[in-house]
Amino acid sequence: MSDEQQPIRPVSRRRLLQASALAIPTAGVLAACARGSGGGSGGASESASATTLQIASPTNPVKWPIAADNQPIASGLEPEQGATLQIYNYADYLNPEVVKAFEKKYEKYGVKVAVSTFNDYSEALAKIRTGTTPFDVYFPSYDAIGKLVTASLIRPLQHSYITNIGNVFPSFQNPWYDLEWQYTVPYVLYTTGIGWRADKISEDVGARPNPYDIFWDPKYREKIAVLDDYREVIGMSLLRNGGTDVNTGDEAQLNAARDAMLLMNQTTKPKVTITGYTDIPEGRTDLSLVWSGDMIAAVQYLPEGTKADILRYWFPPSGKGLVNNDLIVALKGGNNPVLSHLFINFMLDTEIATQNMTFVGYQPPQVSLTPEALVAAGLIPENLKSAVVLPSYFDVGYRQLELSPELEAKYQAIWQQFKAGG
Amino acid sequence: MPAIAWMAVFFLIPLYVVLCVAFGKVDPVFRSAIPVWNPLEWSFTQLAIVVDRLVGPDNFYLPPVLRTIAYVVIAVAACLLIAFPVAWFTARHAGSHKALVLTLLVAPFWISYMMRMLAWVNLLQNDGWVNKIISLNGLLPTEQAWLSGRPTTVILGLIYGYVPYMILPLFAALDRISPSLLEAARDLGAGGFDVFRRVILPMSIPGVAAGMLLVCLPMMGDYFTNDLLSGSPGTSMIGNLINNSITTPGQSGQAAALLLIVLVVLSAPMIWYTRSTARSEVRS
Repeated sequence: MSDEQQPIRPVSRRRLLQASALAIPTAGVLAACARGSGGGSGGASESASATTLQIASPTNPVKWPIAADNQPIASGLEPEQGATLQIYNYADYLNPEVVKAFEKKYEKYGVKVAVSTFNDYSEALAKIRTGTTPFDVYFPSYDAIGKLVTASLIRPLQHSYITNIGNVFPSFQNPWYDLEWQYTVPYVLYTTGIGWRADKISEDVGARPNPYDIFWDPKYREKIAVLDDYREVIGMSLLRNGGTDVNTGDEAQLNAARDAMLLMNQTTKPKVTITGYTDIPEGRTDLSLVWSGDMIAAVQYLPEGTKADILRYWFPPSGKGLVNNDLIVALKGGNNPVLSHLFINFMLDTEIATQNMTFVGYQPPQVSLTPEALVAAGLIPENLKSAVVLPSYFDVGYRQLELSPELEAKYQAIWQQFKAGG
Repeated sequence: MPAIAWMAVFFLIPLYVVLCVAFGKVDPVFRSAIPVWNPLEWSFTQLAIVVDRLVGPDNFYLPPVLRTIAYVVIAVAACLLIAFPVAWFTARHAGSHKALVLTLLVAPFWISYMMRMLAWVNLLQNDGWVNKIISLNGLLPTEQAWLSGRPTTVILGLIYGYVPYMILPLFAALDRISPSLLEAARDLGAGGFDVFRRVILPMSIPGVAAGMLLVCLPMMGDYFTNDLLSGSPGTSMIGNLINNSITTPGQSGQAAALLLIVLVVLSAPMIWYTRSTARSEVRS
């Protein structure tokens, strides 16, 4: 699968000592972070518990504070010389050609790029907080932004470096999760839907009264998969049960979703994986809950001689489904703030963003990349047009917001019970 | 003295850290574990959650535990059945090729466990070689979905992954049996089966016990085989519970508590084994 993982630059001894000193007393670090962000109102040792997490949502847009000790860098600085830009990302979520193009563009500064990968956001966040590797650029989802700002893990952006921001959908130039895009730029858009191979599943999944029901249809026992992501599967189960709030704290709805998920284990025994983009084209799974970009990426993984027209993707045509976007941020722990800005700007270039899409399958929010343009350019086959994310989805679709720690614990307990396979 | 230092650095200190996490606190925002180093301030809420999930009314940890025990019992028995004849052949009949045969048996271990499991993924996938062979390249409708969460596949993975650990101690034990003892038994009128039952088997018991422990202990904590060969919650094992908890914010303490329970349960056969070998050494 991912062979793009490059060796991490060896850490200097001093850096290692600093990092391990930071990593061990976790509580101390967090207390310091909380103080730094000005969020703590309690005593020094208890400040972590006194920090409350601000939750952004479309109805409650948030302009995050910028701490005095975490100001944007000055304008017009020269890029770091001979530096290695440390990128931290999902596997297969960045086109290696794009990385090479960036190195080439800044060749005269001797720039190298190292990409490290993670499996999920919890793992990534934990590793970033230890500070053992000075990652420069990170690709979070907006549901982690509160934590990242609260702990002062990300750097406010100096807008003068990011001239390409005008290329993205206007709504992302002042998003509710980060008003005035102080910390983030959008990376890619995706919906969560059902992907399958038409030669293995003969029915038209979208024609069912409730297409999500297919995950409970014993006909497909042992043939299907769901995403290895607690929010996606719980969210899908909530929607299947007729709910419209995928961030609900309602006990009855959550219990019903949990019971439905346990029933799914019994009736169809789904696999739990995020490799649908290879499993479906290669024939290991017939149908899966997938992200829209997975199905577009799947085209590249089809066995030789198999045509792309057997791939299908369903997302509610009304747009009332799970819709999301990921972000690019500059991490405060990184050693190359100028290069981080240049890289972020580079990724917003229309040509580069398009080139990136040809590999990752995920659609960048570029104004010029309309659905028609994507199909016409051959980036998306006609039969996967449903995988295109329309700007209107962001008005009617359901977005997974950051949860309060207590509610998050509830969601995770449900997930754990599901994964225990009782 | 060096042994004590070794134990302290590589066992006691890590174990203490696990205890401090298991009985520690959880950060309220990030929900990461905050170890509590002072035993007087330890809280047992995480342990209580785990115990509740094991034996309480909402005992969803219990099915994976029972499943793990069943898988391990079957896999260990199968390992023994496979390893005994192989070890016997190597010890008795390999002659001057003994070293070569042993090397070849251990050779797969030069490749990482993950790579070997991924190789099985290729062999077992729907259009893989296993299905091609059993269906005579598509002639028979016997194609199986091996990788779709089947217990048999996971158990086969465990057997394949750990069987050399069984072969080596068995070989050591069987190789030590003097051929003259077997000849003596035959001279005294024992048939083939009697020789096995009354001479070989009793004398190979230490090897059998060592082999069973060696394969049983890592199998009890294995999560990787299941992740790669099944990926379905329907075959989750204890190792998966621990792994899922560790990777979930807020549940590191529960992972540590679960690990401690497994450790306590598994140390029973370990203590039995060390005591019985100590006793037999005294006797001999």
